[in-house]
Amino acid sequence: MAGAVGGTLLSPLPWKLTDDAAIWSQNWFWRPSPARGEITRKPTVCALCEGGCGVQARLVDGKRAILLEGNPNHPVNQGGICALGAAGLQFLYAPYRIAQPLKQTKRRGDPTGFQPIAWNEAVGELAKKLGQMRADGKPNGLAGITRRRCSSMDALLNQFFAAYGSPNLFKMPAHADSLKLAGAVTTGREAPFGCNIEDAPYILSFGAGLVEGWGSPGRMQAAFRRWRQGGKSAAKIVQVDSRCSTTAAMADRWIAVPPGTEAALALGIAHLMVKDKLYDAEFMADRVFGFEDWTDSQGKNHKGFKFLVQTDAYTPEAISKLTGVDPAKIRELAKEFGTQKGAVAVWGQPQGSVPKDMYNELSFLALNALKGNIKAGGAIGLAPEVPLGALPELPGDPSALKGLKQLRLDLASSQKGPPPVLPGNNLHGFLDAVSNGGKYPIEVMLVHEANPAYGLCENKLFQQALTKIGTLVSLSSYMDETAQQADLILPIHTAFEGFDDVIGIPGAPYAYYGVCAPVLKPHLNTKAAGDIVMSVAKQLGGSIAAALPWASHEEYLKKRAEGLAASARGALADKKGVELWKLQPEEAVKPNYKDGADLWKKLAGGACWYDAPVDPLKDLKTESGKFELAAQLLLAKGQTGDDDQVYLPHFSQVPPRGSDKDYPLLLVTYQMSALADRDLANPPFMTKTVFDFILRQNDQFVEINPATASELGMAEGDSAVLKTPQGEVPVRVHLYAGARPKVVYLAQGLGHKAYDEYIKDKGVNANGVVEVQLDRVTGLGTVWAARAHLRRA
Amino acid sequence: MKEENKSASGKVVGGVVFAVGFIGALVFGWVIGPDLLYSQKAQPINFSHVAHQDTTCEDCHAFRPDGTYVGIPKIDKCKECHESQMGQEKSEQILVDEYIQKEREVPWLVYAWQPDNVFFSHAPHQAKGVKCESCHRPVKEEKVVPYFYENRLTGYSKSTMKMVDCEKCHAEQNGSNNCEICHK
Ligand code: SF4
Repeated sequence: MAGAVGGTLLSPLPWKLTDDAAIWSQNWFWRPSPARGEITRKPTVCALCEGGCGVQARLVDGKRAILLEGNPNHPVNQGGICALGAAGLQFLYAPYRIAQPLKQTKRRGDPTGFQPIAWNEAVGELAKKLGQMRADGKPNGLAGITRRRCSSMDALLNQFFAAYGSPNLFKMPAHADSLKLAGAVTTGREAPFGCNIEDAPYILSFGAGLVEGWGSPGRMQAAFRRWRQGGKSAAKIVQVDSRCSTTAAMADRWIAVPPGTEAALALGIAHLMVKDKLYDAEFMADRVFGFEDWTDSQGKNHKGFKFLVQTDAYTPEAISKLTGVDPAKIRELAKEFGTQKGAVAVWGQPQGSVPKDMYNELSFLALNALKGNIKAGGAIGLAPEVPLGALPELPGDPSALKGLKQLRLDLASSQKGPPPVLPGNNLHGFLDAVSNGGKYPIEVMLVHEANPAYGLCENKLFQQALTKIGTLVSLSSYMDETAQQADLILPIHTAFEGFDDVIGIPGAPYAYYGVCAPVLKPHLNTKAAGDIVMSVAKQLGGSIAAALPWASHEEYLKKRAEGLAASARGALADKKGVELWKLQPEEAVKPNYKDGADLWKKLAGGACWYDAPVDPLKDLKTESGKFELAAQLLLAKGQTGDDDQVYLPHFSQVPPRGSDKDYPLLLVTYQMSALADRDLANPPFMTKTVFDFILRQNDQFVEINPATASELGMAEGDSAVLKTPQGEVPVRVHLYAGARPKVVYLAQGLGHKAYDEYIKDKGVNANGVVEVQLDRVTGLGTVWAARAHLRRA
Repeated sequence: MKEENKSASGKVVGGVVFAVGFIGALVFGWVIGPDLLYSQKAQPINFSHVAHQDTTCEDCHAFRPDGTYVGIPKIDKCKECHESQMGQEKSEQILVDEYIQKEREVPWLVYAWQPDNVFFSHAPHQAKGVKCESCHRPVKEEKVVPYFYENRLTGYSKSTMKMVDCEKCHAEQNGSNNCEICHK
């Protein structure tokens, strides 16, 4: 024995085995081993959000994508990338991707009931059902929800629904919904406002999550880099926010106000600017309607904004009562904002996924109007249209017209209150109508790249509506909460596998167009959503097939780009140094592409197209021909109220449901850059960056102020139950001095009930406990706070 | 006496047992063990370097424009000449039928494949004038590719260079032996 030990020790064997064991341990199957081969880079445009960033994928042998990084030649993000983009490739190889078309053969929602089905069968089944509905004269029984509002997919779906004969196509809600309608009210153009934020010397932000994303995280990253370059701050940022968000923490100044009172402070500042004559008097006199008292077309006199904002409701003392901000501080802010040349007011959440109350929108616009910002060369502009190739005209097929004559279900069905005068993309109203047995039934619902079962605020509304919907068809890449409920799943390529495009950058005043070209071949049996819609149209035949005449989604996009080239406008940004924020309104940008084919080639190669901003006051389509602070459109649409303030920006707040007694606290949810929200789940790489005082293992924390915690007798890390009139969720408590007393803050983007073990059951879904209030003017589902109760678990 | 004898013979027996164990372990450790540790594997098809003498080494073992090294070429490279069969060799026939026409890569076994935790770049070694044969076998005269001896534990080749070899050469050539040079 001793001899064997001695002999073994004198042989190389133990040492060799030890060495090998070390290498063996590097090859355990769960340790990722990157593929080896030729490394190439393929630039494209990211389609994970609407930010429009240029990215490039690093590929091994052109087949395996291993890294996504910012494209330094792209003018929007200028080489930067957000957390979602950086982790974005995980979607491509995720285990929760749907590998082939599936049909539910058991009860809806039963994961064991999904059976693979061939593509032609799946598409055939859908086309047959839709054909039958049309033959029965009920095409309006088709409904749709899409996430892709800023892409040609939106136009394609619109075309399909119009050709088929259904008015029931909706988008997942967004801030752009209410901004567009504010555009319609004030300028007559249904376009969202954008801000030339890069060049602003002073930014008064009313809760705008600038660091967290604000429309385009990539763009905002680049803007911050510019502002803070060399340690010198170019823009002074004043953040008005109830919570010390990342933006508030990085701002020069944080003004803490109770949730939902930001617009009151804006009007308080407007009050002082008017009183102290710190506004652009010439602009208000020449280009703005309704600042002074006005007379409508019936000859009736109305009060103007100048009068309204000077009433007692908006004095510093009154606003101080509402906001808790010292009157002296309000005066100081008004003076600073009023006198600083180029100061701009901005608002809106980071990922822009919730519409705002119309009067909120109008109040922030009024503040900018007083500064004279809404004109050519001013900081606020209207998003220009991108002159892409038009879709074929619809022949006016009788079956389609019959369906289209039916009002959209939310408008056709009886409602609780008076109908909105300026209805927008009212998904909440629609789902409500479906669940309450609206005027006509919805037989087929198409959900495209959206996950309303998880991501819609008050998501139970979707669940309730679903019980009344005949067939749910999901066009999704992932087995998300909505796909799980589907009766038929038609799996689509993810971003980076198929052609797609991005039209415009949310929040930007210039024109933008980018093509998302595939960086690698799809590795599952998926299709482009556009191709699926086109093949359904082909099977339906006749006028529907004629309305979507392209051979493929790629060809459709090519035709769109050819149309863009034919406009002979704008130019391509294909190298470093294009500074979009320097473009002057109406500036003639010289095209640097030869023709449609050339433009397409370069777009598909990762370059983007841009054009100058438009003059927001050019060809105003309002009744007065001016920027309307007093909204004659609302008057024309029949908006009535006790006094003239219904036509003017003003502050009003609908209290959340429930009573103070049962719910002594307020719940406010917030978005953060480390958490994807709404339709996409957080890739695990991204979740890794979430602080452990927000998510620890599966426990999600709410933030409360230490004073509130001591009132509740709670300490850091305590388990609790958060209850609102909408529902209750288990949470743990994190004490945060940046949280406002009596308010509970909950991060959005967690609490999934689908996907894989790294996503499922991590935290709680904020959408299940928030409260949606339908805006009185537009009917859009707005969210500001819910009453809440926090008790020890 | 008897007892003394017994103990003396016991010592001898003990010594013999020790020696047998010792020598046995040495033989096992030096001769049998290492062989047991490796499994002999043949390449999917034979490759004769001699038959490719009409090309230069760099035609196949080239550096890419970004400075990375291609190593063993991909099937597209083989296809440049062997789109259809040129000679009578059995391995060429398999190459054409099984790989080129089916657009599959040949699963070559790589004799010098380094573990993932090693960063190795050919470019600086070439720039320093290190000859290929310093690390790889000479292949100029080679008609038949050698067997690949796969370490049963690690899966790497027997001829995969060990860290000590890298360090030795780096020390001799005044190269750095800092950890982060190879372990990034
Ligand atoms: S900001 Fe949006 S578009 Fe840009 S990289 Fe991130 S996810 Fe992609």
